[in-house]
Amino acid sequence: MTQLMPKDLREMYRLMLMSRIYTDRALQLFDEGRLPTGLHPSAGQEAIGVGACYGLRREDWVIPSLRTTECFWTRGVTMQQMMDAMYGNKDSVNRGKESFHHSGYPSLGILAGTAIVAAHIPVAVGAAKAMQLKGTDNVMLCFFGDGAAARGDFHEGLNLAAVHKAPVVFICENNLHFQTAPASVEMAITDIADRAAGYGFPGVIVDGQDVLAVHETTQEAIKRARQGKGPTLIEAKTYRFRRHYPILAETRPVEEIAEWSKRDPVTILGDYLLANGHMNVSEKQELETSIIIELDSVVARAEAKQAADKSAANSTVYAEGAS
Amino acid sequence: MKTLTYGEAIREALFEEMASDDRVLVFGEDVAGYGGLDGVTQGLQKKFGTERVFDTPISESGFAGMAVGAALMGMRPVAEMQFSGLLTVPLDQIVNSAAKARYVHDGAMSCPLVIRSVTYPAGNAYMGQSLEAWVAHVPGLKVVTPSTPIDAKGLLLTSIRDPDPVVFFEHKSLYSNEGLVPEETYSIPIGEASLARTGSDVTIVAWLNMVPAALDAAKELALEGIDLEVIDLRTLIPLDEEAITRSVSKTGRLVIAQEAVTRAGFGAEVIAVVANSDVVHHLKAPVERVGNPGVPIPHSDRLNNHIIPSKDDLIAGVRAVLSS
Repeated sequence: MTQLMPKDLREMYRLMLMSRIYTDRALQLFDEGRLPTGLHPSAGQEAIGVGACYGLRREDWVIPSLRTTECFWTRGVTMQQMMDAMYGNKDSVNRGKESFHHSGYPSLGILAGTAIVAAHIPVAVGAAKAMQLKGTDNVMLCFFGDGAAARGDFHEGLNLAAVHKAPVVFICENNLHFQTAPASVEMAITDIADRAAGYGFPGVIVDGQDVLAVHETTQEAIKRARQGKGPTLIEAKTYRFRRHYPILAETRPVEEIAEWSKRDPVTILGDYLLANGHMNVSEKQELETSIIIELDSVVARAEAKQAADKSAANSTVYAEGAS
Repeated sequence: MKTLTYGEAIREALFEEMASDDRVLVFGEDVAGYGGLDGVTQGLQKKFGTERVFDTPISESGFAGMAVGAALMGMRPVAEMQFSGLLTVPLDQIVNSAAKARYVHDGAMSCPLVIRSVTYPAGNAYMGQSLEAWVAHVPGLKVVTPSTPIDAKGLLLTSIRDPDPVVFFEHKSLYSNEGLVPEETYSIPIGEASLARTGSDVTIVAWLNMVPAALDAAKELALEGIDLEVIDLRTLIPLDEEAITRSVSKTGRLVIAQEAVTRAGFGAEVIAVVANSDVVHHLKAPVERVGNPGVPIPHSDRLNNHIIPSKDDLIAGVRAVLSS
């Protein structure tokens, strides 16, 4: 495992802070009626995607969940690319064919997930199996929420991964609520990690608000996968700081929201950096200001760009072109 | 040329393609150790090893999803659904994960997989379903339905090499049918129908096991001087529209022969091809659809034979289009 240096910690902080600022700006744009798409905000869960994806090899792959925006940032997607995808611009990643969170960036090792929750879990296993067959020690990181753990594809996928000792790390972001309903409607157990035992591989619980803990736990699982020892299920206990989707009402208890908001992953890492002298207050302020300034121009550019061209619609259905 | 059964021809295609392309994988229920319920995959695991040929748990959605993931990473998986009725289970993976992969990646990813799906409408309301129309409806999928050994081999080779996901239907009742297959390597392009029989009075459009049924009907009606033309679609998607319109413009009479339920079935698409073209003016009689009248596949053979279209049902269909 590569030891994290102060510059790595600062970079992780930048990614998490950028994600938070970006998400809140996108929500604001949506509320103002400017953004043509809603989003499933990742605020509160930034430590998971950043901690897990930080330090991956270029040849490794990830499939994000609908909320793991941090997979995109950490693998190198820029705010401009993301905003263009959200606006569905002509020059966006898939020219308006699919939403930003189900977009793939193959050159950055990001496969698009589908909108069918958990369907990407067996897909991740098959991709990992292919990496294994090619004789590489590359890995697949597969992200999903607690809701996905209730679907058959979760169980079939984990079982198949175990049978094949597939080099895949399953990362469940358990934010304790399934859309509008509490975890109690989706499972009668407390820890999703327990399910790994039923398939014969380790299930690990990690504090999803602590990016360093997420990183260390994921690195252990990645090492295991690279060594041919098979999959790991990591359950990151976390909480979303915004509603499930902007147009849906808040259904969670105010006390619970208040309690979890004391454990803001961005603040936790920021405080750690300050306390250990890896960053000073003015550097922290400068970083935030620079992200906001960049984001202002990202939004301005995205809004000024040409919308998706209708000629793109009927292309790439098949390899030969429109069919 | 050599004589092979339909099942042997499929096996030969798998052997040849696995030998020439080490990206080809074969998996599914009972395909490896046992060699497939009908022996189609017999010997593959022994020859190509447990990494490339493996049995799966009863997890159709799971292993279809694995096929998608492996295909996206550049492998050429061939996954078997040992009964077509099972397609209902992995349908999400086929319809969503596989069919849309190229589109959502704007052409930057390919999903070159084959789902071999074995149709057998006998004795079972669930496994016995003929579901080719379900997948034919989905943009991004190709649908292949061979009826002869030579086509089964040639089209399976092409399907495995195809850059897009292919649902390849085989028919269990055809497995023991023999036919001539070239000794040398060959392949058959996807999207071309074949003229199984040339005739002048009535066109029958058929696929899978309805092709031999149509040829039997043609033989019998020839004794009465009725000359049937039989079009074997061979692939449903892409559809060879020209083969249909060319034949119907000649005969002016069309019978669809399909084992699946007629309502919203693939035959309706064939009829739409005719209705949308100038050939519609050549029709001398209303089109007949011969197929399942819209009931689940019954268990008892006595009931079953009443539902599954037979040669006699096709003959009745031909008489109907000739009487008007």
